[in-house]
Amino acid sequence: MSTVSTEAPPGADRTDGPRRSHAPKRRGPRRDKQWPAYVFLTPWMLGAAVLTLVPMAVSLYLSFTDYNLFEAPSWVGLRNYREMLTEDPRYWRSVGTTLLYVVVAVPLKLVLALGAALLLKSLGRGRSFYRSAFYAPSLLGASMTVALVWRALFNDGGTVPDVLGAIGINTGGWVGNPDLAVFAVVLLTVWQFGAPMVIFLAGLQQISPDLYEAAALDGAGRWRQFVSVTVPMLSPVVFFNLVLEMIQSFQVFTPAFAISGGSGGPADSTMFYTLYLYERGFTASHMGYAAAMAWLLLIAIGVVTLFLFRTSRSWVFYADEEGR
Amino acid sequence: MNLAVKRWAPHTLALVGLLVLLYPLVWLLATSLKPADQVVTSLDLWPSHLEWSNYTTALEGVSGVTVTRLLGNTLLIAGGAVLGNVLSCSLAAYAFARLRFRMSRVMFAFMVATLMLPHHVVLIPQYIIFNQLGLVDSYWPLILPKFLATEAFFVFLIVQFMRGLPRELEESARIDGCGPFRTYWSITLPLTRPALITTAIFTFIWTWNDFFTQMIYLFSPESFTITLALRSFVDQSSTSAYGPMFAMSVISVLPIVLFFFVFQRYLVQGMATTGLKG
Amino acid sequence: MSEPHEGRRRPPRRRSVLAAAGAGLGTALAGSLSACSASGDSAGSGVTLTFSWWGNEDRAARTTQAVRLFEKENPRVRVRTSNADFGSYMQKLATQAAGGGIPDVAQLDYRQVSQYAGGGALLRLGGAVRDGTIRTAEMGADFLRTGTYEDEQYAVPMGRGITGFAYDTRLYRKAGAAAPEPGWTWQEWAEVSRKIARLRERSPDGRPVAGANDGGVNEDVFEVWLRSRGGRLYASQTRLGFTEDDLTEFWTLCDELRKEGAAARAEDTSQATSTETSPMGRGLAAADFTWDAPFPGYPALLGDHVHFAPVPTTGGKQGAYFKPSMLLGVGAHTPHPGEAARLVDFLLNDPRAGDILGFSRSTPPNRTVAARVAKTLKGAERDIYRYARRMEEYGLDAPPTAPPRGDVAIQTAFNRTYQRVMYGLASPREAARELIDEAKRELRS
Repeated sequence: MSTVSTEAPPGADRTDGPRRSHAPKRRGPRRDKQWPAYVFLTPWMLGAAVLTLVPMAVSLYLSFTDYNLFEAPSWVGLRNYREMLTEDPRYWRSVGTTLLYVVVAVPLKLVLALGAALLLKSLGRGRSFYRSAFYAPSLLGASMTVALVWRALFNDGGTVPDVLGAIGINTGGWVGNPDLAVFAVVLLTVWQFGAPMVIFLAGLQQISPDLYEAAALDGAGRWRQFVSVTVPMLSPVVFFNLVLEMIQSFQVFTPAFAISGGSGGPADSTMFYTLYLYERGFTASHMGYAAAMAWLLLIAIGVVTLFLFRTSRSWVFYADEEGR
Repeated sequence: MNLAVKRWAPHTLALVGLLVLLYPLVWLLATSLKPADQVVTSLDLWPSHLEWSNYTTALEGVSGVTVTRLLGNTLLIAGGAVLGNVLSCSLAAYAFARLRFRMSRVMFAFMVATLMLPHHVVLIPQYIIFNQLGLVDSYWPLILPKFLATEAFFVFLIVQFMRGLPRELEESARIDGCGPFRTYWSITLPLTRPALITTAIFTFIWTWNDFFTQMIYLFSPESFTITLALRSFVDQSSTSAYGPMFAMSVISVLPIVLFFFVFQRYLVQGMATTGLKG
Repeated sequence: MSEPHEGRRRPPRRRSVLAAAGAGLGTALAGSLSACSASGDSAGSGVTLTFSWWGNEDRAARTTQAVRLFEKENPRVRVRTSNADFGSYMQKLATQAAGGGIPDVAQLDYRQVSQYAGGGALLRLGGAVRDGTIRTAEMGADFLRTGTYEDEQYAVPMGRGITGFAYDTRLYRKAGAAAPEPGWTWQEWAEVSRKIARLRERSPDGRPVAGANDGGVNEDVFEVWLRSRGGRLYASQTRLGFTEDDLTEFWTLCDELRKEGAAARAEDTSQATSTETSPMGRGLAAADFTWDAPFPGYPALLGDHVHFAPVPTTGGKQGAYFKPSMLLGVGAHTPHPGEAARLVDFLLNDPRAGDILGFSRSTPPNRTVAARVAKTLKGAERDIYRYARRMEEYGLDAPPTAPPRGDVAIQTAFNRTYQRVMYGLASPREAARELIDEAKRELRS
């Protein structure tokens, strides 16, 4: 958890920061006024303690045990971690598959979401209709029905291989091909780009038209305006989407579970990290091993998130920090 | 000429994109009207004739529970979840965004970290807790956590939004003698409305589509949701009914489609004023 | 888990550390909230049982009807029922077992018996069977034994199934192949499959039709093959009953047939999850090894020219056996063991319940009930009943006791590891070695 502590609590930031100078100093020491915060936080703290912290602590404990769901866990020390890192080739294959997925799906989804948002912005009439329609795939989630549709579309003789074949790319069916199946899963999540699109759209609408006018007066063309106004002004939103999509992609489960029927097939090619975790924990009843996997994943995502926050300082542009 | 291209290019592009994006949905709709023997085997888009009986079968529901009942149950859970998330997440967010307290950094970091833990491993400990509380086999495990702000995504979202609000209003309220609770309720909450609507819409859609939690905690078919009932149509150990399943999945999606089309303009407005500044 | 379970010292019941952790925090809130609980037996002087199973709509409707009849006969008992699809059911039952106990009466898979019995989730039923609360006289003793773990009865079979061979009579005739008779051999099967491949028939989507589904992914097919050669899957709860050579030979045969086009293609096999999506169901193969219960799906899908035949033998020795398609168990924590046992007995032995349930869980294990219901069967269902009678006459070995705990994991590993052979990622021998290593790890625990 300490891995994300650079994520400054904005509240603390504000109250300690420059704001203090023009805050009315009518009251005594602020320390006295802490109790209302705890009242506001009561539901959250209760939930965090009972429904998050305790289960997390239990899963941390389980990660050092052999636990088959039926009998009391027995302590095995670091055995799960050792077995995972040194004796389990499937573990490393699932890591590789997941990394491939993250590296392909996250940029693709974000680019598409941004492209759609820019396109929507440039549309005048009918924008609302298109916006809803573009969001429609995201309404469905990754249910079993969607999975059946997807398998039919990407199968031998399905629409996607047929269309690709017509333009000279003969792929055959994707779902039964271990080299391509993972991309069918990627495209399913990319297809549901509605949430980041909506967030990008909101970010675009926040950019003041004055900035574009000023750029146009300086003789900047459309491309130039995009590079020097849109990109920097949108960077906080890009960052937000990037972080959240990244966290979600590392935990990709439902689309792969639905498409492969939980098997991660063909031949383990869609056996993503959390799917393997699920298989170990619930199918094979090695919950201790699954818990150890979860904790390594938590640490890995934490490190990547931390890294993103570090790099963000050089490329994310915060308008409200200009004066500092 | 050039002007015409400029005017029509975005529309053409949007239309092409629309066709590609909606093709799978059209396929889903068409399949829901296919006769049984064509549902899985046929790769044609259009059914040879429209099999409306898929819909009449689906409308009968599952295990003697009608679709109306199933939709009602789902609506109840989704409604409770929306209320819970909006209330509890905004309370927590207000504290994180506006109030000073010890350990605020640690708590905030912990809140963000909970986004990163795969929920499958906390499933069993959570189940044990709810079982100890005697709440398994009721809607409480599905709704209660939302009243305890366990969905960090929304806390985070609302915090980001509140950061973007001007403080002047709250300051003047305070000078007028408003305590933090009055300020939260009468000043901040109304200003946060767009973010709350965003929270409500996402919560509604996600709860509607959730399957895992519902499957674990609900026992009787009378308490089932539409997503659970959908599963019962395809049991791999016995002959399945794919046609009615596709029909039912169309039925199950209709309410969220309606919900979304009604509220989507607020969604974008909400986002637009949300201070999503990383 | 690392040693035989009776060797370990542990708390009397499985109120584990987990439960204790939950309890500590739980009680703090319980006072105010437990009143909201929907479960419990507070309904006056009556008793409420919970009963869950997996299965489709038809099974659900019939089971509910039978349960209502039971309630009518036992006015003090109320039964709350729950059902789900197989995958969800498995996960839900495991969570319930870990988190406080399974329902009072629960339908179990053959592969779950050892795990649930060994883990203390099931109540011993030996007493109820001996004192006649659960009547088993109409069930073969050998068959009843499939519900035992370490010589103690923990579950009672609720349906009797057997593997067979679904095949397309038209394609068989066209290839000049004889209809499979009891006692036909694996070599004959391989030859017929090759002949059909040579016909170069086309499936609805225009691809060549193979002789059969690829049985290499299916542990059940391997077991039948192995038993026909006098082997068995498990020697004990902790040891495999076959060698690397056995498995290599089986997978080599499958691998060759597939490469020759006599068995279905890899991409079609890997996507099969049901009758409808299997290569045969999609018209891509002329035959499939399948259970009797799902068999009627094939004629329904493809037409009445699909028949059900015995699986091949080795020199006349049949490897198939009568297997419980599902069993009933009683939860270890049930507050009403007597009523639960009565419900089990009612579902298994009451003739009216038998009429209602029909063949919705394969052949009823009670012979009298089965014979009575069989008179009403039609079409494909009558075919599979006759098939089972024929196999009884042919003579089958007694079924093994419930497979060891690791079998659930080994079964999925079997499928997955052979997929590596199908896609050319491993040779049959490499794959066999991989599987045996993995199986040994699962069995050790």
